[in-house]
Amino acid sequence: MDSLDPRVLRLPKVGEPGVVQPKVALDQFGSFEVFVQPREGKPFQHEGIVHSPNIELAYVLAKETFTRRFTCTSLYVVETRNVFVSPLTDGNRNVYDLIAAVPASGEKEDYEVYHLQKRGKQHVHVGSVKAGGLEEAMSMAKLAFNAGGIYNVWTIRHSDIRFTKPEELDLWTTLPEKRFRDAADYKGGDKLKNFLEKRKML
Amino acid sequence: MYGGGNTFEGVKTDSVAKEDLVKLAEFEARIARGEKIEPADWMPELYRKQLIRMIEQHGHSEIIGALPEGTWITRAPGFKRKMALMAKVQDEVGHAQLLYSAAETLGKSREQMIDDLITGKSKYSNIFNYPTFTWADCCFISWLVDAGAIVNQLANAKGSYGPYCRALERICAEESFHLKYGHHCVIYLAAGTTKQRQMFQEALNRWWPPMMHFFGPSDKISTHTEVLMRWKVKMGTNDEMRNQFLDMYVPKIRELGFTIPDPNLKKNTTTNKWEYTEPDWEEFKRVINGGGPCNKERLEVRRIAEERGKWVREALKSSTTAYVTPLA
Repeated sequence: MDSLDPRVLRLPKVGEPGVVQPKVALDQFGSFEVFVQPREGKPFQHEGIVHSPNIELAYVLAKETFTRRFTCTSLYVVETRNVFVSPLTDGNRNVYDLIAAVPASGEKEDYEVYHLQKRGKQHVHVGSVKAGGLEEAMSMAKLAFNAGGIYNVWTIRHSDIRFTKPEELDLWTTLPEKRFRDAADYKGGDKLKNFLEKRKML
Repeated sequence: MYGGGNTFEGVKTDSVAKEDLVKLAEFEARIARGEKIEPADWMPELYRKQLIRMIEQHGHSEIIGALPEGTWITRAPGFKRKMALMAKVQDEVGHAQLLYSAAETLGKSREQMIDDLITGKSKYSNIFNYPTFTWADCCFISWLVDAGAIVNQLANAKGSYGPYCRALERICAEESFHLKYGHHCVIYLAAGTTKQRQMFQEALNRWWPPMMHFFGPSDKISTHTEVLMRWKVKMGTNDEMRNQFLDMYVPKIRELGFTIPDPNLKKNTTTNKWEYTEPDWEEFKRVINGGGPCNKERLEVRRIAEERGKWVREALKSSTTAYVTPLA
């Protein structure tokens, strides 16, 4: 049958049907981890990933992918390769029992620390520590945040993160106007009731 | 949105026998305790393979499923419906991004998934191989195909793989808008003119057989499916999903005064199960294998988009980033 799709009918053809051109390396770009703050005063939590050629665009794509509705008050992104990941434990095994003390070294910087407190849930931000490196940050986190029952720890250098700037906080202020994205904007109840009553009378 | 009835690969269950038995026991104990599996965990090859296949098919279905609706954006009746349909199509494509990311955590690259879709190696939901002739076809998809997808997705969200479950939670939240929007559209057609009512009735006649195919053929409980159900990859039989859908939506369709084109459709009050004319599974197979009215076109649109976007991706590419398998 003839196509019903204007993209097929009106746009110029390229390439051969069913033939895929070989992809260059990084065709889908690098990977970035996205963290969102669901509500004012709540800790940031890991939300997913985006592919992006750089961190600025990763920030924009993260906003489009994860916060089209009333899902957050702020967000930030970091390159996946800049996240330092501990081993993963299960059952009653606390991951901090596997993390050895690392001697302090170098200049101190801020590092952000994230915990997986329940398998299947998101990693949640627990606080920051000062350390001379990612591994040292993890051993500092053990001193600062080890409350037991933790399955996995991430540490990220503060300066590697692309945060939401104060002047960008209005990114989400137009959301309440976008009622057409909202299930509550599609109330068919009255129309349906009237219709059913009319049918009954026939 | 997403069609269920996953076609699981015929991997021999023997492959499980080759696994490290101590690790396998730990893995199964973890699932039995109700703990989710995370990407860094050890997992049997069969588990990894089937999950990649299932999540990838789901992602492709979102992308391809956006096409029959997307063509109606310019022709949707009125500004409000255009805005809503655009938002819905954007959601569907967004869902594909989330799903591809979840599949990536298992070790398959996004490039490979896109290639496998275009060459026809990977499948997607069969229902999107049918055309949307009228606005009512588009409304059928928004309401009922999405409703079927939600039945599947809510079940899968209780599965064992952490990243997939988390993606599904987000997706299900957005699908509630799709469902309300779709129902709203159909109510307006139902309460409209004779012509509008007739238009939806015709769409219902066209789409009912693919809708019954949507959940897949009755699955015999083989050792293979039994293993996948124990590992919480597959969360229910295709018949269970179909029955649940019929339970929820047959009354709603009939309430609007439309006739479902199957004289044998009725609920057996003793078994509590729906009875219906057996769907034409030969047609189902033919369409899945490329013989449907729109298979070629759907893949062509995706391929052309890929080709046309190439220069943009090349212009943006930068060696300052690197691809690392996503963490969670």
